[in-house]
Amino acid sequence: MPDSTKQVTQSYYKTYKLDNIDDSLKLELKEKCGIDIETCLECGKCTGGCSNTHIFDFTPRKIVQLIKMGQETRLYHLDALWTCVSCQLCVDRCPAGIDIARIIDFVREKAIKRGAEPTRSNVKMFHELMLDEINKTGRVGETVLMIKFNLKRGLYFENADLGRKLFFKGKLKLFIPGIKNIGQVRRMFNSNPVQREV
Amino acid sequence: MDSVKTALVIGGGLAGLEAAIKIGQAGHKTILVEKEAALGGNVAKLFSSFPRWENPVDLLEYKINKLKECSLISVMTGTTVKFAQKRDKSYSVELLSTTGTKNKIEVDAVVIATGFELFDASVYGEYGYGSFDNVMDSLQFEAKLKEWSENKENISPPKSVAFFKCVGSRDRSKGFPYCSKVCCMYTAKQAGLVKDLFPDTRCFVFYMDYRAAGKEYEEFTRSVIEQKHVRYVRGRPSKVLPEDGRLLIRAEDTLMGVPIEITADMIVLASAVVPSHGTKEMSKLFNAKIDQYGFIDHEDFNPVKTGDRVFYAGACGFAVENLGAMHQGAAAAAEVISLFNQVD
Amino acid sequence: MNVAYFPGCSLHGMASEYDLSARLVCKHLGINLQEIEDWNCCGATAAHSLDHLLNVALGARNLNIVKEMHLDRVTAPCAGCFNRLKTASYEMRHNPRVAAEVEKLIIAPAPVEPEVTNLLQLLIEIKGIEAIARQVVKPLKGLKLAAYYGCLLTRPTKVVEFDASEQPISLDLLLNALGAETVIWGHKAECCGGGYAASETNIVLDLGGQVLDSAHAAGAEAIVVACPMCQINLDSRRGKIEADRGKKYDMPIIYFTQLMGLAYGYSPRQLGLSKLLLNPITLLKSKELV
Repeated sequence: MPDSTKQVTQSYYKTYKLDNIDDSLKLELKEKCGIDIETCLECGKCTGGCSNTHIFDFTPRKIVQLIKMGQETRLYHLDALWTCVSCQLCVDRCPAGIDIARIIDFVREKAIKRGAEPTRSNVKMFHELMLDEINKTGRVGETVLMIKFNLKRGLYFENADLGRKLFFKGKLKLFIPGIKNIGQVRRMFNSNPVQREV
Repeated sequence: MDSVKTALVIGGGLAGLEAAIKIGQAGHKTILVEKEAALGGNVAKLFSSFPRWENPVDLLEYKINKLKECSLISVMTGTTVKFAQKRDKSYSVELLSTTGTKNKIEVDAVVIATGFELFDASVYGEYGYGSFDNVMDSLQFEAKLKEWSENKENISPPKSVAFFKCVGSRDRSKGFPYCSKVCCMYTAKQAGLVKDLFPDTRCFVFYMDYRAAGKEYEEFTRSVIEQKHVRYVRGRPSKVLPEDGRLLIRAEDTLMGVPIEITADMIVLASAVVPSHGTKEMSKLFNAKIDQYGFIDHEDFNPVKTGDRVFYAGACGFAVENLGAMHQGAAAAAEVISLFNQVD
Repeated sequence: MNVAYFPGCSLHGMASEYDLSARLVCKHLGINLQEIEDWNCCGATAAHSLDHLLNVALGARNLNIVKEMHLDRVTAPCAGCFNRLKTASYEMRHNPRVAAEVEKLIIAPAPVEPEVTNLLQLLIEIKGIEAIARQVVKPLKGLKLAAYYGCLLTRPTKVVEFDASEQPISLDLLLNALGAETVIWGHKAECCGGGYAASETNIVLDLGGQVLDSAHAAGAEAIVVACPMCQINLDSRRGKIEADRGKKYDMPIIYFTQLMGLAYGYSPRQLGLSKLLLNPITLLKSKELV
């Protein structure tokens, strides 16, 4: 059981006071994403079929339930935010048509803005490295990205064996030409309030 | 002016039978039209009924005998209504039989009792209906129960049977937002029957709720859980995967909040109740009021009246259990009799 | 037929054989693929995970170029790119607030006009199965294949509007039209682990492993894919999955366009078959298809 789950279960056993539930996140979801979680039937179909349900600390239905219960802070510290594969199985199967994958994306974005530490920093790091490549050249070179990812974590030889196999198949490209109008792409990054350390 | 009035009852299921019997017994000429070769509708397909575990065959036999006893009722099976034209105080109706015979009749009131069908669950690809063997809907399973009961000694029973409720019901995304009312009860019945036949077979009912709002309904459902030991799991199944010739079900036990897996040999889907083709056709022919799903709807303050001299009863109006269908049939009959008794 | 072509970073990188075979097959069928000039990365998993608006904006820039090319349709062979572009298009069409924000970022009206299709969809819906079957000169007889759609090709239904999401049949029909047999199996549209290939490889080992296991249990001799992520995940992690599970999954993971090319008479070399980590040449030779 990952550490974050231990933390969660320790404060799990208490009485929740539901007299004055903080509805702000629920309303924000409705206004910004058009998602109305009051239509949730609490059936569990999202959780039952979720690709990674068995490793989530809070499963999809529970994540929606946390929002219903106004438990914003707990949401920002979920490990589930960093293991969701965005496969859209939950979205497609939900009888209320709730876009749960989008909810997880939304919560993750907010968590980052609030400065919450990701439970899996390597996942966040990989995303940021990829976005950095897009910002620099407009496209992503897989080989360059992998090398940078290894270097940043100090794991120089991770996937080296795979790298060797790919090299002999002529699949590794070290140089990716950037796009001409890179300014048009950089403009999108600069106008965005997302804070990235890279 | 006292002329002989004729009522047309369309549909020989439980509601239609009740309506025809009551109108006929009140002394009015009644024509009962049924598209199938035999009377009984969907009830004739049932092996048992809730909440008293009665054999529907007995009920239908009783009703059909009452029907036959009344000389004013003519029964036309294998016949459908092809055309209807509204006159001032009657309908001119054209009937067609499967032998090709056409018949033109004049009727003074119509009762639509065309029943229901089950939603085609192929839409739910995640359950594998139509793709994997041994995934069937509740009516198909009822036939299976009949088959098993007639041949019990020679059947090697399934190790595990799973029942999925709300397939197509309570689903804004792929199905209908409404609740089909009867499935919670008949699923409890079916699961209980499996345990009666094969006590060692594990039965699982996957539910969001169990709705037992009726006389003796809650007691019935509790007896299935507590005395027949059917296991109820709260969670709408998400996926069925074929595994080693059996069916792996992925769901969540929402009460515990954990993902679960169950392997079953057979899966029964409680598919939504939808208006039958006959209901759609008749509502058009007679200009009946219908709701957004195609079920027959009633006029304000008149629960079984749907048009000028047109009434309805049974599942064509919405999902209803046996007792309710008979109630509605009798109510529609009362409307017709009252109409016929009025001085023009 | 002129269609805008969005290869995506993978097809210019590790999945070049998908690009190669796709272009070959489209040319053969009379589809003129015009690569979007100066296209940018769709954002993949990274963009939508960290910044929703960025994801839509990246897609919008590409769709805007399609508009400038005076083309009304763009096709993407990669299921991931397709899903990102399609979602961007859907958001702009249905969410006026997002459309307004995007317009500020790309300094152009929100490009809602171009139709976004994935390559499989283009071939099946626009060309049609008969046209595809007509070009077959070497039927792929005797091949038992598992058609693997992955999770993003058909989901979410209301956005993607392509095939049935849980029991899709388009790829199966295409492979049948090429003369091959397809198996019935449960994981045909389940996730392989997608973008976690590098950052949380265990997820890919778990989910990809389930896919391999399921295809193997169904008796498939090879898995056919329409996404470079699925191909790389299943092909590159097979060894580790086999070691973890103590089983052998001797199934090559082949791009559907490569099989189309084979059936149309092109050589393995022309289709880049040897670039796949598990070279399907042995399997194909055993079926006397090469």
